[in-house]
Amino acid sequence: MGGGRFFDHTLDNGLRVVIESMPDVQSAAAGFLVRTGARDESPQLAGVSHFLEHMCFKGTPNRSWRQITVDFDNLGSTYNAYTSKERTFYFGWVRSEDLEKQIEIIADMMRSTLPVEEFEMERKVILEEIAMSADQIDRRVYDMIHERAFAGHHLAWPVLGTTESVSALSHEAILEYFRNRYQPSNMVLLVAGNVRVDDVMAMAGRHCGSWMAAEARPPRQAPAPPPTGVYARRSDQFQQQALALCYAAPSASDPERETADVLASILGGHNSRFFWNIIQAGIAPHVAAGRLDYCDTALMIAFGFCEPDRAGALLDAFRTEIQGVRDSGVRADEVQQVKNRVRTALMTEAEAPYYRLMQVVQDVDVLGRPRDVAERLAAIDAVTPDSIGAYLTRWPMTGEGFLACLGPRDWPKNGGGGQGKGRLIGKLGTWAGRY
Amino acid sequence: MAQPREFIHRKLSCGVDFAALDLPARRTAAYEIRVQSGLAHEPQERPGVARLVEESISKGTPQRTAQEMTDAFDALGAQTGSGVGRESMIFRCSCLPEFVDRALRLHAEMLRTPTFPDEFCNVGIELLQQELTALEDDPGELARRLIGPHAYGPILGRHELGTRESLASMARDDIVGQWKTTFSARRMQITVGGQIDPDHVAARVDQLFTGFGDEMTNGEDGFEDRFVAGTRHHPKQLEQEHLLICWPGVRVAHDEYPTERLTIAMLGEGMSSRLFAEVREKQGLVYWVGAWDEHPRTTGRLFMGASTTPARCDQTYRTLLQEVSRLAEDVTDDELERARIGIIARNKTHGDITRARVGELATDLFHYGRPMPTEEKHARLRAVTVADVRRYLEAHPRDELCVLTLGPRSLETGDDG
Repeated sequence: MGGGRFFDHTLDNGLRVVIESMPDVQSAAAGFLVRTGARDESPQLAGVSHFLEHMCFKGTPNRSWRQITVDFDNLGSTYNAYTSKERTFYFGWVRSEDLEKQIEIIADMMRSTLPVEEFEMERKVILEEIAMSADQIDRRVYDMIHERAFAGHHLAWPVLGTTESVSALSHEAILEYFRNRYQPSNMVLLVAGNVRVDDVMAMAGRHCGSWMAAEARPPRQAPAPPPTGVYARRSDQFQQQALALCYAAPSASDPERETADVLASILGGHNSRFFWNIIQAGIAPHVAAGRLDYCDTALMIAFGFCEPDRAGALLDAFRTEIQGVRDSGVRADEVQQVKNRVRTALMTEAEAPYYRLMQVVQDVDVLGRPRDVAERLAAIDAVTPDSIGAYLTRWPMTGEGFLACLGPRDWPKNGGGGQGKGRLIGKLGTWAGRY
Repeated sequence: MAQPREFIHRKLSCGVDFAALDLPARRTAAYEIRVQSGLAHEPQERPGVARLVEESISKGTPQRTAQEMTDAFDALGAQTGSGVGRESMIFRCSCLPEFVDRALRLHAEMLRTPTFPDEFCNVGIELLQQELTALEDDPGELARRLIGPHAYGPILGRHELGTRESLASMARDDIVGQWKTTFSARRMQITVGGQIDPDHVAARVDQLFTGFGDEMTNGEDGFEDRFVAGTRHHPKQLEQEHLLICWPGVRVAHDEYPTERLTIAMLGEGMSSRLFAEVREKQGLVYWVGAWDEHPRTTGRLFMGASTTPARCDQTYRTLLQEVSRLAEDVTDDELERARIGIIARNKTHGDITRARVGELATDLFHYGRPMPTEEKHARLRAVTVADVRRYLEAHPRDELCVLTLGPRSLETGDDG
């Protein structure tokens, strides 16, 4: 079983370095995790983390925006960055021999000058990104879920911000946010691939050792348990009706996360109950289940897109399938099938530094430590029909839940429900089934 | 050029064109089965039938029900997938190396003896109709569907979802008929890679597909390739306008292909590429902009695409065209070398993934008719000069373009609706 060769060290200035050695590959991936995202913003600064991610590509003390991109492309790097509710991550995947150059470029970006002359141009780009997002029904319903499930909390606003908030952001505000958050004790350098630990540590010292330590990011506040009831919005822009039926679920750091993910896969993954009983019944072409998880809260979501006149049938089908697992549990062969698929997926992950990097950043950010594929497989192997039964006692998918609905039909009626009583004391996650 | 030892490439006695790649250090194995049964093979009055074959072929055999077939793959932990393209249908599988034999046996059973149960055929047709509704909410894919018949002509330009009219009259017999007339061992290419014994797998494939469709002729090639220039607008209520520009390119096996490939890379791959730098970074017109090539076996098409708010669409259009023209005037050695390094380096990094390596092998077999060693491919790229790029761009002018806009307003230069 692959993995397990981790090295974890913190430099004097507080920058943590996590390395996974993969001697059988010919490439290496590196990235800088910055532990700040949309939920760490104030409402007036909604979108600032994402705007900052764009600005870090626009200039450093050593490079213009043009030189940054030329230097990345001269390595043939597969590179990019993303911003989520809880983190910002910059990464590149290169041939092993190019690793130091890759680390040097991204480290340079982490000391960005945020050139003021590029600021208005980048604002235009981000406003286009917001417009693009507005045309996508899945993104719109994703935003609706957050808007209502986490109303009044920092998780409620979109990662991109809004047209209004991004239009109002000042360069000074971004600069101040950058100085507070992009400092070594709030960052982690992650490396996976065919590398020597001593070499990587020397690179980290050369390119990040002089960074000045500063105060840690302000602590996060947990949101209230998600509500129940209906949040529907009519829109003639879309032809389909989108439905998302949500229940409280264990957070990203909760030990029951794997149990929840196996259950989600049995309900709405490959070869699942949703596939045979909803898709193959002709009710809707796209349905799934998954956990949307964060560091201290999560939702289990059954979601789908259907012809507007079938929305009622789809909602009934979701409730029927959920009731089925609640009343009769899941079968051992269903659990085993998920485990078999996970085993292959993890072996594929173990082949590629890029895939490993993306998993290690999640583990380090959420659990505080990396996990190799053997540990992850063991966690899945421990799930049984009984443990899923116990899970459903602790995280009951009962009652009306919280339903978000978007599409051309004025359906269902808004309202109902109230504040949920789900137990929400955990940590982080992602939208969609994992297995 | 001699092939390195790790490849084997054989025409098996069953008729399958087979290639395998021994990758001893890998943890997984993967294979692709390509059948010459694509959108271009659909009867003219039955658009959508290829996708229905792809969807319903896995829904049962005389030995297994639909769910038993899926369960059997799951028992192996096999990750399977399939897709239908312009000229072929592909069935993919990734699994642990010890399960390759058993997974291949399941695929052989599925492809050779599907029962196409009525209920699943009917649901498949129903779901495809719903997919057409879903397509309206996916502007990027909708734009690609709309430009297809103009960029490629009515045969190669078909879209996998067919039409509402065709689906309304589709029946199980059409699906079965399409399978019967286009599926046979002689119309198949199978590529395998990973920690496997290539000779053993070749023998296994030969055994599994012997006698499959022996009465059938080989798959035809060289479908009508018709490029219809013009600017067309499809009105739709959207925040952004989607813009696609297409012009003809060369086929992959053409001598000029490496030059074309590098030209496209200089235009649209990486953040230092011409389009990203000019359209997004310098002018802030878009979030998304790109250039790419598409290749049926006997032809090629080059595309540029962007999405932007309607008021900026004309400027985006003009800038895209200017950038291609400017490339012919001032392409430099540095940017050519950067594009070359990008392709070669990504070939190495992505090659760490077994299924990606097998995908590359399958693509080579389809276009070149043989596995192409990595070094040979890289040597072709290294041979391209700036003068070659200029010559290529001069020899393939963009004076006739196929342009499509999807969104609230048409281009000022638009010539029809």
